Amino acid sequence: MPHTADVAVELRARSELGLYQAGVNALRELLVGASPVMPVAERAIEPRGADPTERLIHFLADVLYLWDTERFLPAKVTASGIAGEPYDPARHQAQREVKAVTRHGARVQGGEDGYRATIVFDV
Amino acid sequence: MPTLERIDEYRWRVPRHGGMRTEGLIFADAELIRDLEGDQSVQQVANVAHLPGIVGPAIAMPDIHWGYGFPIGGVAAFGEEDGVISPGGVGYDINCGVRLLVAPLGIADTRPRLAQLMDVLFTTIPSGVGASRSDVKLQRRELEQVLRQGARWAVEQGYGVPADLEAIEANGELPGAEPDCVSERAKERGKSQLGTVGSGNHFVEVGYVAETFEPAVAQRLGLEPGRLTIFIHSGSRGLGYQVCDDSLDVMIRAAAKYAIELPDRQLCCAPLSSPEARTYWGAMNAAANYAFANRQLMAHYARRALDKVFGGDVAERTRLVYDVCHNIAKHETHEVGGRPQRLCVHRKGATRAFPPGHPELAPQFRDLGQPVLIPGDMGRYSYVLVGTAGAFRETFGSTCHGAGRRLSRHKAKGLARARNIPKELEARGILVRAATRATVDEEMPEAYKDVARVVEVVHAAGIGRKVAQLRPVGVVKG
Repeated sequence: MPHTADVAVELRARSELGLYQAGVNALRELLVGASPVMPVAERAIEPRGADPTERLIHFLADVLYLWDTERFLPAKVTASGIAGEPYDPARHQAQREVKAVTRHGARVQGGEDGYRATIVFDV
Repeated sequence: MPTLERIDEYRWRVPRHGGMRTEGLIFADAELIRDLEGDQSVQQVANVAHLPGIVGPAIAMPDIHWGYGFPIGGVAAFGEEDGVISPGGVGYDINCGVRLLVAPLGIADTRPRLAQLMDVLFTTIPSGVGASRSDVKLQRRELEQVLRQGARWAVEQGYGVPADLEAIEANGELPGAEPDCVSERAKERGKSQLGTVGSGNHFVEVGYVAETFEPAVAQRLGLEPGRLTIFIHSGSRGLGYQVCDDSLDVMIRAAAKYAIELPDRQLCCAPLSSPEARTYWGAMNAAANYAFANRQLMAHYARRALDKVFGGDVAERTRLVYDVCHNIAKHETHEVGGRPQRLCVHRKGATRAFPPGHPELAPQFRDLGQPVLIPGDMGRYSYVLVGTAGAFRETFGSTCHGAGRRLSRHKAKGLARARNIPKELEARGILVRAATRATVDEEMPEAYKDVARVVEVVHAAGIGRKVAQLRPVGVVKG
């Protein structure tokens, strides 16, 4: 989606879990482009937040924190958190730093047609 | 986009409507205003005007562009008694700022060894995604000292000289920092990133003084035509981002607790007198001090690079011109309705520009006005200005902070896909050293407004005075 300074993405999925996966895919693409990331290890992420929008933002922020402190790249959302693997410069091409998952215009909408959300990443 | 009323050649009003408590005031010429069509930055100015306790208009500088919550290039002041503080009015990169060094070398003497200098800078100052230093890993106690003392900590450890501190906004050490208000997560993110550039629009740029507009002032700042300069743009790295993120959780709850209606969640805030505001204040100032120390270390390593390429004498005589924050909130005294009033001034993508005679300026700048550093894009030029009485009167002592983006990152990347931006820049005499191609493409010169136009507006409007123009010859990008 157009955004001048940062990166805005529109996420769409059939389920709430799918929406989280779409958010993770967007974040991973910002971090390492199309470099393949395998779900070889798992990290737990505690759900936080008072509403679906806050919970999604927190989940993505926690994934970003794992990247920033452990160089852990996300691949797949699991029941208890995220599966992925450590960054390997031989296989993963780092793209850009992502500072944060912002709340600007963020909103999760869910219904019979599936789930949607808009997220702006500060880069 | 809300309706805009033209006040004069450089000022536009966003009339009060809906829940706005005051009007908006945008500094721009007609062309810069046209650039805003299709984005939400003017709406963001209107949104800021909704916040409680706002004093004067919600202001935007000519480098205004679409941010999150506040627009980038925004200034807003709030009364200490009835106003609020908003982390979204400071931004994720707390005390993102710029620092300018001037070396005792002419550009002609530098050219033959420029490639070597760029290589050494690139290896000496880590840049790029998650850049960290293996030689500066802070223990918990040291990190807390950094958070309290900022640039002073760095100088006391030998990263720079005491004279540097006099040429930094607030001497590189903001009072009110409380390391205990900074979360463990933020400290974890900050422990190995001190002295690193990061990526995005951050950079280390080598250039020279191309033109002076006020030769006497330029000379006082050491900016004689042809002199070699080093510009550093970075902030508080992961530590600052985490402080902002942590505080947004608290402020969203606080806004509900204090019944503050928000037109955008990212504008969440708390009354200045509240415990939530005090906690953010302590953490924000700590992160700001981290950023001052970060730029102090980078300047130290830039001097080391000069030492390696040109010798110790050059490094030793390389002086700091100035260092400014452009993402910060500060308590300041301004005249409101003919009377002095204490205000909390938020500058998000805006630079403090105090006039000659202001008591907060170091003695060496007292008769000149505060130096203001305005980086442009990596292909054209940057500017040095000084603060004015006009800025103090009209914009709470603030002016612009850079060129401001005009293209989205996505668009810029698309334009750059079939081109080789580093090669194009090299053909123009600008060497690029970058960690990734993605950042260089997204940061291509055309992605930015022409900073000369932005600076012309603030100069003509009287909220800054042009002193010198710098041109780049080399840039390190993340």
